[in-house]
Amino acid sequence: MSLVIFVLLRLAPGNMVDILFSTGGYVSESDKAAIEKELGIDRPIWVQYVDWLRDMATGKLGKSYRYDLPAWELIKPLIPVTVELAVLSTIIAILLGVPTGVISAVRQDTSLDYVLRVFSLAGLSMPSFWLGMVIILALVAWIGWIPPITYVSPAENFKIHLVQFLLPALAVGYRSSALITRITRSALLEVMREDYIRTAWAKGQSGRIVIWRHALKNAMLPVITVIGIEFAFLIGGLVVTETVFNLPGVARFLVQAILWRDYPIVQNIVMFIAIVVVLSNLLVDLLYGWFDPRVRYG
Amino acid sequence: MSRFPRLALVLGLAGLSAVTGLTAIPAVGQAPKSGGVLNIMQREDPPQGFSIHETATISTVWPGMPCFNNLVLFDPLKKTESMDTIIGELAEKWSWQDNYRNLVFFLRKDVKWHDGKPFTSKDVKYTFDMVREAPDAQAKLRINPRKDWYANVEKIEAADPYTVVFHLKRPQPSLLMMLASGYSPVYPAHVPPAELRTTCVGTGPFKLKEWKKGEYIDFVKNADYFVKGRPYLDGLRYIPIQERGTKFAALQSGRLDVAFPGDASKTIADQVTKAEPRIKLTIAHQNVNDNLLLNVTKPPFNNVKVRQAISMAIDRRAAVQAVHQGGAVVGASLAPRPYGVWGLLEKDLAGLPGYGKSADEKARARKLLIEAGFGPANPLKVEMATRNIPIYIDLASFVISELRQVGVEATLKQIETAQWHPLATRKEYQAGPNLTGIGPDDPDANFYENYACGSPRNYTGYCDEQVMKMIDQQSQELDPKKRVQMVWNVQKKLEEDAARPMIDWRLEHYLQWQYVKNLIPHQSIYNYGRMQEVWLDK
Repeated sequence: MSLVIFVLLRLAPGNMVDILFSTGGYVSESDKAAIEKELGIDRPIWVQYVDWLRDMATGKLGKSYRYDLPAWELIKPLIPVTVELAVLSTIIAILLGVPTGVISAVRQDTSLDYVLRVFSLAGLSMPSFWLGMVIILALVAWIGWIPPITYVSPAENFKIHLVQFLLPALAVGYRSSALITRITRSALLEVMREDYIRTAWAKGQSGRIVIWRHALKNAMLPVITVIGIEFAFLIGGLVVTETVFNLPGVARFLVQAILWRDYPIVQNIVMFIAIVVVLSNLLVDLLYGWFDPRVRYG
Repeated sequence: MSRFPRLALVLGLAGLSAVTGLTAIPAVGQAPKSGGVLNIMQREDPPQGFSIHETATISTVWPGMPCFNNLVLFDPLKKTESMDTIIGELAEKWSWQDNYRNLVFFLRKDVKWHDGKPFTSKDVKYTFDMVREAPDAQAKLRINPRKDWYANVEKIEAADPYTVVFHLKRPQPSLLMMLASGYSPVYPAHVPPAELRTTCVGTGPFKLKEWKKGEYIDFVKNADYFVKGRPYLDGLRYIPIQERGTKFAALQSGRLDVAFPGDASKTIADQVTKAEPRIKLTIAHQNVNDNLLLNVTKPPFNNVKVRQAISMAIDRRAAVQAVHQGGAVVGASLAPRPYGVWGLLEKDLAGLPGYGKSADEKARARKLLIEAGFGPANPLKVEMATRNIPIYIDLASFVISELRQVGVEATLKQIETAQWHPLATRKEYQAGPNLTGIGPDDPDANFYENYACGSPRNYTGYCDEQVMKMIDQQSQELDPKKRVQMVWNVQKKLEEDAARPMIDWRLEHYLQWQYVKNLIPHQSIYNYGRMQEVWLDK
């Protein structure tokens, strides 16, 4: 994985020094070579790769070319912002998506089902950044207010912090909820046709028990898979939402670092995202066992 | 003081160009109020931090200026910059001597760097020796875009701790204009320039408190500032916002007090002021032009007829409407009047290739192309290379559509920003629509940077002995009236040669809340960010 990240990054044209010179409006080949030497990007690629691996092993993560500061010092404060936004968005997506999917399945082919399906389709059709921008523009047009544009930590002011995160989380969560709604609906419809559900109905159990305890629990495996994938996707995919709401998160910083060819920052953030993807998949696998004991017994 | 006896200084003082700085500039209109923090729009984290000498972008100058001082500066309260509006900052007084061959600055004695060390003439010598890359310079800039501004400086002498002399190879009145630009701060000699990329040690009205990358840059009032009673504000907060919709929503909602220079298009400015009438719109000039780079070092643009044909094919007035929705003006290579002071008169402009009636110009363009060997059977094929940034692409698309109307088969090639300058410097392109920003509205700053033979920013490779002679002559002309005429002639010659056809000059639509006082946009976006005089009427 580290090799792929390292090589792909260097396939992009130009390097940090080209960007530096573009801010000066000219290029001097001799000065460029001197800066490349200063940054260490004149060395053979494999030497740079080994250096990075060594840095990662020792927890140093290298130094940002652009800011001339340790990469970890720059990345560390960004992680909680993105993780919080991703978690909050996922919670909203689950709270919105699962009940909607259940209602839609239980009331299959009724007008309520159609309304909910249109609602979820709309979510899938609207990019979250667009929705975010609409929210901001609507707020400023109607009430002349937008959330704070500099990060407010929970310790500083929890209420404002929550407001600052709630709107982007809603924009992102709505889109994810649409996917969850559709998967929940189709999975539940399939389970509802199973013999053991028919048996449960025949035993005279209440609808709530049949649906929420027997059917939904067994229909959750594909839903969990989708939630896991969505969460992992959000960590790297919040770029535009973080940009629209001006939140200082990992994703927004990553894009800036890519534009600046700030290799140490990009490599480490991408590696961080890769780790999150692996961990969220692991968590999903563990949850499979909890939802469906048969998985545990193979 | 060795080469300047006291008597000479006394005589020089009699002819002082200006005296200022000792007394603070009175605020316009109401009595200023002290206090408050100004929330300022910022486009991005400043490239190269606060090391203004190492960049050519407003993204660094805008948040960097409050930290530093210049020897001299354009009066922040006067919207039109000229020799007459230059005031002293670190220089209390100054004097031209020896028929404009020596420029003597008498420095203030009460100035301290933000770290408490005293400011002396050594700092001035250190800074400008470094920028001009003098053989005995004590430090080197990593990137040095404005070395050419100081090519005429032969030597800088720190005559005594509070007197510094710029010895020139030949007279050059414009040196003062360049020194008055926001691009000309004095750096501390005791701080390596590399440190200024991450922190800021200046003498300016505001001290850097914190730079939280990607979030904000906080400055606090410099309580020891040498201008008593200034600054009025307790602090400044620059907030980088990349998304255009968000930044103007932030301004409209009051999260920001002022906009970032050059960021609001006419359309956006109109929308914001319509939605929030308490936001004030000032129409000024950016000193940024849209131009067309034609690589004159290779065929077909080494042929002046082809260049002229291309220039004639472009309808400037249509560009103003189509690309800027009316938010630009037509002009030659220096900022047009009434915004600039050196621009050609309308009647002179109308006679230049490409500035007449569109249909006539296009007909002349077709004729010239045929004369140069290009016609329907053998059309001129041009690859327009431009940066993959919307404002560049909009301009390129317009130029391509204009060229197609005269039979030129133009195509667009989008170039990554990282690749653009290496390509332009190596002249590995045919043609390319481009934006050029110029620090001060001054012929020397512009001509030497963009048209002089061998200048690193002369991307077209245009090099004409006669033009160089004309540029040098105007540069040393001491009579302002004669000089204006000479500058006009240079501009006419450049447009006739289609050296770098000018398309238009961008107008500034600067937005700020009405309660922000004394922040007055100039005709160049690079020179009015000191914030020393700004106050809040809240």
